[in-house]
Amino acid sequence: MSNRAIPNAFVKNVLQNGLGRYICQLQRVTLNFCKATPSSLGTRDFIEKYLVDFTRENPGTVVYVKPIRNRAPFLVAEYLNGRQERVSTKDMPADEVCKWLEHLRTRSGAQIVNLRKEWLTNTPSIQGVWHPFLNKNPSLAGTSFPAPELYGAKTESKSATDMVLEEAGVKKVGSVDSASSKE
Amino acid sequence: MAASLVRSTLGCQFARFLRPSLITAAGQTQSQRGVKRYMRAYLKELYNRRLRVGPEKLRHRSEFMNWNYNAEIYAFGKRLGEEFSNDSLQAAFTHRSYIEAEEARRADLGIDVASAPLGLTDNSELTQKGEETASRYIKAYLRSSYPTMFEEAIVAIHDHLMSDDTLSHIASHIGIGDLMLCSDFPPEESTLSKNFLAVVGALETDKGVKRAESLVRDLVLAQLVGKELMELWSVTNPMGLLMAVLDSQGRGPPEPRLQWQAGQRTIMAVYQVGIYSDKQLIGQSAGERVTIAEDMAAQDALQRMMGIGSGHMPLTFRTEADKMELRYDPKNISAEELMQTYELRQKENSVS
Repeated sequence: MSNRAIPNAFVKNVLQNGLGRYICQLQRVTLNFCKATPSSLGTRDFIEKYLVDFTRENPGTVVYVKPIRNRAPFLVAEYLNGRQERVSTKDMPADEVCKWLEHLRTRSGAQIVNLRKEWLTNTPSIQGVWHPFLNKNPSLAGTSFPAPELYGAKTESKSATDMVLEEAGVKKVGSVDSASSKE
Repeated sequence: MAASLVRSTLGCQFARFLRPSLITAAGQTQSQRGVKRYMRAYLKELYNRRLRVGPEKLRHRSEFMNWNYNAEIYAFGKRLGEEFSNDSLQAAFTHRSYIEAEEARRADLGIDVASAPLGLTDNSELTQKGEETASRYIKAYLRSSYPTMFEEAIVAIHDHLMSDDTLSHIASHIGIGDLMLCSDFPPEESTLSKNFLAVVGALETDKGVKRAESLVRDLVLAQLVGKELMELWSVTNPMGLLMAVLDSQGRGPPEPRLQWQAGQRTIMAVYQVGIYSDKQLIGQSAGERVTIAEDMAAQDALQRMMGIGSGHMPLTFRTEADKMELRYDPKNISAEELMQTYELRQKENSVS
């Protein structure tokens, strides 16, 4: 089930992004398309209708537009961590290109792998991690063993059976009192 | 068997040559006469030749076609959410080594440098300005966040934050690497960190000290989150320091007591030691040996006194941090001074 060969990683946030200010990790995006072929139609439409608004809303991302003759269109997103992501926009309508660009804009640039945990925290334990000495009675440290008086089940309050037997005036058989009295 | 081996090494794109039925790019099947038996050897040879040539040469981003330096500089400023002036940002990214290399190149080409000057200012001034601002602010922020922390610890944390390692890591992750004009490629850590400080200096020139400090806080001080601050400062004698501190506060001397022990005669022995002052627990820790546990417990006590460690308040950022009133000049208590005072007092007591 858990395979070391399958790439996986913990969630990470490089440079504690968002703690102080949020820095958009998309450094630059290049739109490659053909001016003539029908597979680039959606990409051409996107450039005409939505691209300028995108650049205005994201001044921190440099947008390059690169016409290439007779090739299928694609987007190349470059991130601040040095990685690149390619998305083929062949035969895509303009709004689908829009959606893919939005997806690339909101990514951190980290490689998509299986996440071992869905969260990342610097304080995994609020009250402190448990250890065997945490809730032990300190008097145990000074107790010399064997200590038979500690071996019975602790009865802090009377059980219903005890109350009934007391009412009836019968001493409970098998209790610690009876054992010590026998001795 | 062999065919599948070649297929796995060469990728599935070549597999179609090795099957009797040709599968076109459109996914349709065309029949062809037989298998071209030379194809496997040919593809294998191509693959090995490519491996022998070696990996692709490392190139600067500006060598590729889609590059516009002015647009990149503008986007850098906007990415950080700051308004820079173009001149100061250009100067921040220009290193002395680049100017020297350019002048040497021009001299080689026969261009008189004096008559046709480059007109570039280097970033040495901005770097110095940025370094002073960042250094001053980091110390003031730490002193304000941890008022009981020793000055030596504050200096140690400051030195860690201002080290080439940390600053170059920050610089490379905000996009400075591509924008630097310097003679070294791949960029060295020292160049990256100097450039980052120059950017801080440029922001101070354009928008004032407050905004530059805000940048330092968001990018540099944020790196402390999740870090063990006690690891950044090495204390050689924690018990001695603890004695000096308690003495200066007029509290009882530290008394270490063994609280718990388990597995003494095994390799997984654990001893928990607690340190008490006036019968109050001030620090505790577990360790493999009693001496280690005592040492760690003393460090735990010092940690608690300084207000760091798990369970203490996190650092402030954003609007809360803007409201912080920082003391730039007065330093925190010095551990060295405390120890010296304590030693003097001990000598006086022993003499008298």
